Amino acid sequence: MAYILQQLLTKSAARYPEKTAVWARGRSITYRELDERSNQLAHLLRQHGVKKGDRVGLYFPKCVESVISMLGVVKAGAVYVPLDPQAPADRVGYIIGNCGIRALITKEDKRHGLDESTLASLEFCVMIEEATKSSNGTKIIPWSMLSEFPAAHAPEVVLTETDLAYILYTSGSTGRPKGVMLSHQNALTFVEWCAATFEITREDRLSNHAPLHFDLSVFDVYNALEAGATVFLITEDLALFPSRLASFIETQGITVWYSVPSALTLLLLHANVNAEKLSRLRLILFAGEVFPLKYLRQLADLLPHVELQNLYGPTETNVCTYYEVERERLASLEKLPIGIACENTEVFAVNDQDEIVTQPGGTGELYVRGPAVTYGYWADPEKTAKMVVPNRFQKNFEEKIYRTGDLVQLAEDGNYYFLGRRDSMIKSRGYRIELGEIESALLSHEAVKEAVAVAIPDDIVSNRIVAVIAAHDGITIKPSELQQHCGSRIPKYMIPELIEFRDSLPKTSTGKVDRVQLTQESIRAANQPPSEVVSQ
Amino acid sequence: MSTVNQTPATHAPVLKDQIREFIMENLAHAKGITSFTDDESLMESGVIDSLGIFRLVSFLEEDLRVRVSDEEINAETLKSVNSIEQLVLSKKK
Repeated sequence: MAYILQQLLTKSAARYPEKTAVWARGRSITYRELDERSNQLAHLLRQHGVKKGDRVGLYFPKCVESVISMLGVVKAGAVYVPLDPQAPADRVGYIIGNCGIRALITKEDKRHGLDESTLASLEFCVMIEEATKSSNGTKIIPWSMLSEFPAAHAPEVVLTETDLAYILYTSGSTGRPKGVMLSHQNALTFVEWCAATFEITREDRLSNHAPLHFDLSVFDVYNALEAGATVFLITEDLALFPSRLASFIETQGITVWYSVPSALTLLLLHANVNAEKLSRLRLILFAGEVFPLKYLRQLADLLPHVELQNLYGPTETNVCTYYEVERERLASLEKLPIGIACENTEVFAVNDQDEIVTQPGGTGELYVRGPAVTYGYWADPEKTAKMVVPNRFQKNFEEKIYRTGDLVQLAEDGNYYFLGRRDSMIKSRGYRIELGEIESALLSHEAVKEAVAVAIPDDIVSNRIVAVIAAHDGITIKPSELQQHCGSRIPKYMIPELIEFRDSLPKTSTGKVDRVQLTQESIRAANQPPSEVVSQ
Repeated sequence: MSTVNQTPATHAPVLKDQIREFIMENLAHAKGITSFTDDESLMESGVIDSLGIFRLVSFLEEDLRVRVSDEEINAETLKSVNSIEQLVLSKKK
């Protein structure tokens, strides 16, 4: 049995050396090539000083080299950090500094966009394409150097399942993203559960729709490797166009699909999909946000041959509960369950009296226990201590459990149902967004005195974001200027699509900004027909 | 704002302005982007995302009164201001 991720590859490469492991942008590599290239990359990294536990950033759009890099880094005993190639350079620079990345695998146009101090902090960059000369002191290593290193074996590094494999950054409420540390054991607990539950075989063709800094991609990549199957990386140009995406699923004979529900909704609404065209598709997994029942019912009717699974879980635990959609219940369901705990994982709700909910109907915050739970956040012991807490419900030995911050209800049918959040984190297109991070970005503009970001519920993307601003006296500023300012600090999916200005923001009796009132007003305004807006 | 080429008196520049203005006000600003050229790939620069595409298509259908099929919603047709203009012009012939 595998206890570190790279063993999944080694095993499949030995059994199916000539099978296609990864396909992206019209290129593919076999298991043998993936194993050899990642061995070479691991040797290259070691030779340039990367040691066990060091963090290596991956900063380029999805391609075959993405998977080579993930495996190469863990084979070197290091920890990979996928960086969103679409995120502003400021945010990427923060992450590089926060987790002390000194080796970066990247492309010239991405590297070029980083600021001077970030570049100065790097010891070297491996360029996945033909390298140009370095404009500053950073050492540049072209990808072609890989061929100089041994391909047959990975370097000797002692690792156990408790070592870190990767760090995934998610939105942080204090204005900066936080790095969730995931060990080999965390990842494999999930991968092995998936392999057994969804019976992934080497005949399967898995899609990878999610970006690689998003934990959904862990399933796509590692479950393909585990089974000796093929993973097809879906790039932006494909993901954006439902009709094209549908014909991609059809022509590539995708059998297993995993994405956020909004991607499925767009396919449903804007691509002419049917059971005949997608006859090879056998399993659809979705996670990251609530699937509106209206669209899920349509999907279930349209693809009667496909098994549908609702997976739930924050990055800190990967998936911790699941619900297999029961078609016969779908018409009468009022809400989609998040289901029951995965194997080797325990979940329970804790109510306001700090007791575990055992009776149907009871509600509380969902806690997660088991080997899937993260150690916490990189270089942030305070935040870690708040969320990954000692298990006060059993005293026999020390262990940590994770507080999800999600409010759930335990129902008669034994399933848990998601009710909402305890804090101001929201989801949009499956992305975790802390409204506080948006507000920090807005407040960092000199003209802004007060700022509140508000989530407006939306049928397709879960939430849209608007902001209400009070500027300093006598200063006028255009919404587009503020949006541009945000664009240099936070990812595009976090930028408020509308910004409303007021002289001052409403306050509660304790003098705090009244979020509840602002949220209600914004939702009301958003739901009004735009009849008063004169076009042109 | 990007520059407008001097062209003979046809409807084209007006149409192109309309398209550019819609994209600027409704899509680009919400992504923190304040300039793009008529030739630039709107997907690569992040002006248009998966939902932006359908707001753009609604604009073409409702405001410019051209019918856009699912198949026409692709990376070539909707690439830039220029290619969107071409799509609309080809429909109006």
